[in-house]
Amino acid sequence: MNKKPNHIQPTLSAGAFPSVQGMWKQYQSDAAQSLLPTGAPYVDERLRGGITQAGLHEFFGGAKADSHAAAAFALLLAWRLPQSDAAIFWISGDKERQTSGRLYPYGLSAMGGDPARMLLVQTADLRDALRAAADAIRSKAASAVILETHGNARLVDLTSTRRLALAAAETGVLALLVRGDAVPMPSAARTRWRICSAPSAPLPGNAPGLPTFDISLLRHRGGTAPFAARVTWDHATRSFFDAPLSGGLSAIVTDTKTGPASRQRA
Amino acid sequence: MVEKQRGAMRLAACDPAAHALGLTAGMALADARARVPDLAVFDHDPVADLNLLGWLADGCERYTPACMLDPPQGLLLDITGCEHVFGDAARLAKDVHARFSRHGLSCRIALGCTPDSAQAKARYAARAISDVPVEALDGGDKVHKALRRAGLRSIGDLAVRPRKPLAARFGKAVVVRLARLLEEEDPRITPRRSLPIIHIAQNFAEPISRTNDVLATIEMLAGGAALQLQERGQGGRRFEICLFRSDGHVARLAVDTGTPTRDAALLMRLIRERIDALSDPLDPGFGYDLIRLEVPIAEVLANVQVGLETKIDTDAAAAALIDRLSVRLGAERVRQFHARQSHIPERAALERVAQSDASKADWPKADWPKPVPGEPAMRPFRLFETPQPIEVTAGFPEGEPRSFRWRRHVHRVTRVEGPERISPEWWRHPRGYAPGNGSLTRDYYRVEDNEGRRFWLFRRGLYDEIERPLWYLHGIFA
Repeated sequence: MNKKPNHIQPTLSAGAFPSVQGMWKQYQSDAAQSLLPTGAPYVDERLRGGITQAGLHEFFGGAKADSHAAAAFALLLAWRLPQSDAAIFWISGDKERQTSGRLYPYGLSAMGGDPARMLLVQTADLRDALRAAADAIRSKAASAVILETHGNARLVDLTSTRRLALAAAETGVLALLVRGDAVPMPSAARTRWRICSAPSAPLPGNAPGLPTFDISLLRHRGGTAPFAARVTWDHATRSFFDAPLSGGLSAIVTDTKTGPASRQRA
Repeated sequence: MVEKQRGAMRLAACDPAAHALGLTAGMALADARARVPDLAVFDHDPVADLNLLGWLADGCERYTPACMLDPPQGLLLDITGCEHVFGDAARLAKDVHARFSRHGLSCRIALGCTPDSAQAKARYAARAISDVPVEALDGGDKVHKALRRAGLRSIGDLAVRPRKPLAARFGKAVVVRLARLLEEEDPRITPRRSLPIIHIAQNFAEPISRTNDVLATIEMLAGGAALQLQERGQGGRRFEICLFRSDGHVARLAVDTGTPTRDAALLMRLIRERIDALSDPLDPGFGYDLIRLEVPIAEVLANVQVGLETKIDTDAAAAALIDRLSVRLGAERVRQFHARQSHIPERAALERVAQSDASKADWPKADWPKPVPGEPAMRPFRLFETPQPIEVTAGFPEGEPRSFRWRRHVHRVTRVEGPERISPEWWRHPRGYAPGNGSLTRDYYRVEDNEGRRFWLFRRGLYDEIERPLWYLHGIFA
């Protein structure tokens, strides 16, 4: 009667199939190896190498107007992937396009991306968008799939994100979910980030400088403690770097209470 | 049925009972009322008639893909090579008759070697073409009257006469028509739909209605079509499924592919997507008794040698995915970037349908500018389709913006670069080179607000162009 259900003890670990077990271990180590570094030393050190490439990651904007920063950060992360011909899918609904405009290829190329690799999918509603994202992740055609949704959508729940996460883990596609101004809810994402725009290091003549973000890790399935940092994107090297000190501000905000997260509460 | 013709209400059509009472089409309504006081009259609706005819033609496509409307009341079917399905032409005619009468429609069916002959026989209810009256020539009242006066009442009378004097007297058109009626010259009919390259059909003795059965049939047909395409060395770009319901209704489903294909499994996936994407699901009614697969568009598709070590073809995977999404969401919803020669920001970049493979070669490969090291992006990564009107506090005149209000939020500008002046495309406006005729010059500013957000603003119009220029937010920088 006290016998535990059989499925809790995986039969693979019984040692009866050493080759299968070996393959499983190999698979696990492979999965651990395929990390996508951001390029910023501080962030990568905290993440122990980077974010999992074959996984789902969520990006929230700090305030309402920061949903663009979340979208930009997700896009730049996708460009961190090794160069290949595989397409980057940008999936969004009619509503998102209406409120936040369309992607502009000249701006994308000016940030170091290749607009020719982008495939844009515009759906009528979120249900279609989630389905299209799942299909794109499952196919071998995509290197990254970015799904943008605005607002608190009930459809983006544990079930639907788990579907995306499993598909991403299976095919090794980087799946990025841009949640804009939504309030974080339980999801199956490997990491959850809050992204805000940050003041850039000004260029001569007080001109706005390179794209700079305040990023804060809210949740990590691998157990990394939440942290916050300020990073800048360099399009020449296609990587982030830790934002330089400017105006007496620490580039690295270690205390989340005074970090960018506090801005959202304000 | 009445219709207003030249100011008078006239009968447009009568039913058999009215004919029996001596009423004919073309009679004035007042005269008809005088003869039959309790005449039931309805408005003539030619559009509805034509729609009904179109619906009937749809249903008749079960017999042959070459089907043509012959308004106001006729249908022409080219059954060459199609009658064997029913045994012979007479049995096919019987089947047509049975189906029409099931809908309460009466019809006259005639078979002929040319469309004109069949049409004339059906219209004048004649057994042989020689019995058809001369009116079948469609030569106009004068011609018909002249022929009748000469004692030539039927086509049979004309057939034995020499043609040359006829042509001299009545014109060439009459002789050509006569030759067609006498089955000497065969003009092909112009079908309503262009004939498919391949069509393959399955008849059922008992109508089927379960979706699984329908899909299984389509799968079988797709396999057959794939074989035919293989033999021709072609791949289909468009596939159409016609589902003929036993009550005459026809449902059509079309699937487009970006690249030519003859992969039955892929085709089945697309068709399943298409059926799932239907806004109202397929209604089988009393069941389908004929399902046909047509391939209207096909292109050359060479056989590909599949090697053992062929790597996964991402291009093929991408094409399959694009097809799938295009079928489900609509082709216009899956797009790629496309550049255009223009320096007006919103005109310079377009999005085009990703699926249209044939036109891909025509599009010049976009040459996107390379980033300059150390310089930030001068163009936003997001652009608003319609620039967003904002309220701006700026230096006067033509000064930099100091703060602006967008979507009920005030942004204090801390960093600014500009202006980048973009003049309008004066050649798009008549006399646009003259001041005041073209559209307005735009001064673009790259700004950063106190919270670190970067925007692309512009002032539409210079102060010497317009009295009060307005400000807009056009894009957002990362």
